[in-house]
Amino acid sequence: MVQYNFKKITVVPPGKDFIDIILSRTQRQTPTVVHKGYAISRIRQFYMRKVRYSQQNFYEKLSTIIDEFPRLDDIHPFYGDLLHVLYNKDHYKLALGQINTARNIIAKISKDYLRLLKYGDSLYRCKCLKVAALGRMCTVVKRISPSLAYLEQIRQHMARLPSIDPNTRTVLICGYPNVGKSSFMNKVTRADVDVQPYAFTTKSLFVGHTDYKYLRYQVIDTPGILDRPFEDRNIIEMCSITALAHLRAAVLFFLDISGSCGYSIAQQAALFHSIKSLFMNKPLVIVCNKTDLQPLEGLSEDDMKLVMDMKAEAMKTITQAGDPNEEGVLLTMSTLTDDGVMAVKNAACERLLEQRVDVKMKSKKMVDCLNRFHVAVPKPRDNKERPICIPPAVLEARANAAAKEKKKLEKDFEQENGGAGVYSTSLKKHYILANDEWKEDILPEILDGHNVADFLDPDILERCEELEREEGLRLEEQAAQDAFEIDGHELTEEQKEILSQIRKKKALLIQEHRMKKRTAESRPIVPRKFDKDRKFTTKRMGRQLSSMGVDPSAAIARSKSRGRKRERSLSRAAADGDDMEVDGQQSNKKLRLRSRSRSKSRAPEEVIPGEGFKDSEQKKKAIKKAKDATRNRNKEARRGEADRVIPTLKPKHLFSGKRTLGKTSRR
Amino acid sequence: MASRVKFENSCEVGVFARLTNAYCLVPAEASESFYSVLDAELAGTVPVVRSSIAGTRIVGRLCVGNKRGLLLPHTATDQEIQHLRNSLPDEVVVKCVDERLSALGNCIACNDYVALTHPDLDKETEEVISDVLGVEVFRQTIAGNILVGSYCTFTNKGGLVHPQTSVEDLDELSTLLQVPLVAGTVNRGSDVISAGIAVNDWTAFCGSDTTATEVSVVESVFRLRDPRPGALGSDVKSSMVQDLFKS
Repeated sequence: MVQYNFKKITVVPPGKDFIDIILSRTQRQTPTVVHKGYAISRIRQFYMRKVRYSQQNFYEKLSTIIDEFPRLDDIHPFYGDLLHVLYNKDHYKLALGQINTARNIIAKISKDYLRLLKYGDSLYRCKCLKVAALGRMCTVVKRISPSLAYLEQIRQHMARLPSIDPNTRTVLICGYPNVGKSSFMNKVTRADVDVQPYAFTTKSLFVGHTDYKYLRYQVIDTPGILDRPFEDRNIIEMCSITALAHLRAAVLFFLDISGSCGYSIAQQAALFHSIKSLFMNKPLVIVCNKTDLQPLEGLSEDDMKLVMDMKAEAMKTITQAGDPNEEGVLLTMSTLTDDGVMAVKNAACERLLEQRVDVKMKSKKMVDCLNRFHVAVPKPRDNKERPICIPPAVLEARANAAAKEKKKLEKDFEQENGGAGVYSTSLKKHYILANDEWKEDILPEILDGHNVADFLDPDILERCEELEREEGLRLEEQAAQDAFEIDGHELTEEQKEILSQIRKKKALLIQEHRMKKRTAESRPIVPRKFDKDRKFTTKRMGRQLSSMGVDPSAAIARSKSRGRKRERSLSRAAADGDDMEVDGQQSNKKLRLRSRSRSKSRAPEEVIPGEGFKDSEQKKKAIKKAKDATRNRNKEARRGEADRVIPTLKPKHLFSGKRTLGKTSRR
Repeated sequence: MASRVKFENSCEVGVFARLTNAYCLVPAEASESFYSVLDAELAGTVPVVRSSIAGTRIVGRLCVGNKRGLLLPHTATDQEIQHLRNSLPDEVVVKCVDERLSALGNCIACNDYVALTHPDLDKETEEVISDVLGVEVFRQTIAGNILVGSYCTFTNKGGLVHPQTSVEDLDELSTLLQVPLVAGTVNRGSDVISAGIAVNDWTAFCGSDTTATEVSVVESVFRLRDPRPGALGSDVKSSMVQDLFKS
């Protein structure tokens, strides 16, 4: 749906400011330095850019004005006419037309000068062309500055127009000046309309909102209308006429029957008849106001006849809608004493609603929504009774709802005990258990590796009793058996002998097993599969070796020490070599290997060429690259030496001493 | 009486609460104000139980129940089941259902006598429903939606279904359920009825987006305010016409 909001139109700057804005933007947004010595194409380009840029800016700015102002032919006729009444359509269109022309002229100027600039042969000439182009554009804008000023004024006025939605449910209040339209408005809505005891207090349309039957109604207060020919009406009256003519609303025609507004009932009736064409097809209510001064019954016969005439006229509008009831056509009220104010509002809203619902019910869209109004009533399918079940406690609580004092809620507890996030309530508080003491009992989730819940049983107490009974039985049996065993306690000599033998054998087996298991011994020096009887011991080896005439001490020592610590000295290598070569022959294979790999006399940082590198320089580079590639980056973003360091944030010597009045730098 | 509430800035109160004629479930570790609103309204007549189900707060969508029983999905933990058994009166049977579709609240809609279920529900589940809840079970769809639990809600007095249910479907469903039905919306036009409302035989909680017209429809169809049989008053009707087409 179209929203009519004229508050969002951007400000229209006056002509002078307009020029300033564009020129200063051109100055800021395009390059400013150019030099004679530059290539001529560059100079041309420099100035062409300036010209094109200003033209684009002019174009954009003027386009926003043209686009944002509503086009009177496209908007709702109510707004179209209202704007025409307020600002004069011709003026308005002329102003916008001028802006459009200016926009086109500026585009044309720019095009011409850009073409000329292509032939500029020096910096000076290019500059002159640019100055001329911008100058002409500014002149054009200067010429339309009255239009701009006019549009700005209109913009400011439009922003203050009430936001009337022409399509929604609307109640329109109209009548002679000073008959109590605004007072009624203030009564039924929260719009604070100015009420004064003189005519034309309300000079424009005012909008308020009121509720009736879950729906929101827009109430429009219009300025008073005088009974005179259409052409003589002033702008203020024309606002009312426009609203009456274009809004599909319920119309409240206010009648001051006391005549205290300064117009007689006859005059008011004349007005009614002269504008009755505007009430066609609209729910019309004639409201006799100020009954506190003059009740309707007390009117003179002539006046009464006039009122009745009007009522008959109003009834005509109804019969067209096809609703013959007479209620809510002529109503009396007094805004001073609040008599009948609500009745008037309700009648108007009701009649408007009826009319709108009728229209909508006839529309095609209604078919899609018919199911929404259908209440499906069940057909009985069996004889089963299906009563509603409201617990008696609810009915009881409802019956003495007023008497009961307010229950203390969880929210209140929370508020008292530290508020949200601090207070936490116990979930077990409302448990329904046989014994209240059980509420806070802790139930283990897992016991002995089993999920307790899997073993939960509603009849657990019975089971427990059953078990206990069984246990009792078992205990009795045990007792009987024990009694029996004491009887057969003595053993014969033979049995004793056998028992002691069994025990001895058992002890031996255990001992043997323990021997085997002893940790130090069980270390397999010779693989177990060759040493089933565990006879290859170090001792035996020593014995055998010495029997063969070899000194066994080294071999024994070696077999005992499993590993060897790392050492720095190279001496052991030699010793090792001695050991390995049992025959005593010096094998310097190892030594040779080492000598080939690296000379000990070289410095460790020196790089020997080789491995496909031309010289040591190249190899060094390669090594450095490899190192860099494999080095861990400082991904953790720890502080490094490259970071900025402020050793002391506030050096004592700069911040101590006199401060209050004198200088901080002197002590 | 229908009241408008919000659960921690969400209007989908039916998601976070399960209201029946015998008890009310609300999520644990939720705001105290939501709990307090329900507690104040139900005023100690039925227990308002705080519990998570399967560790989540969407208790209204995961479980289903009436005054006789409460069905929980298989995802509910042993501790939660124990907690619910302790908190609910003994007449209410708490039972776990071994059903692939674990959001029972979306798949089943029931009152104290009838239940509508998702067409793909297991045979065994159907039996469990009829045994535990003591209801007749019908496999149904609502306006072509298989999630019957989400798109309709009904009590022993009346029911509200998906707004696009046709008149014939409405009549058929109403005969099945033996309660008056109306097609409508909650939460300013939301068609997921049971997500936006928690209702039992005497009270209703709507999401706070629910419009006045919707509330009045809810109150009249569930007969919360007056004892007259479920029918839309004329005032509701005209305001509904206005609400249905804005032009």
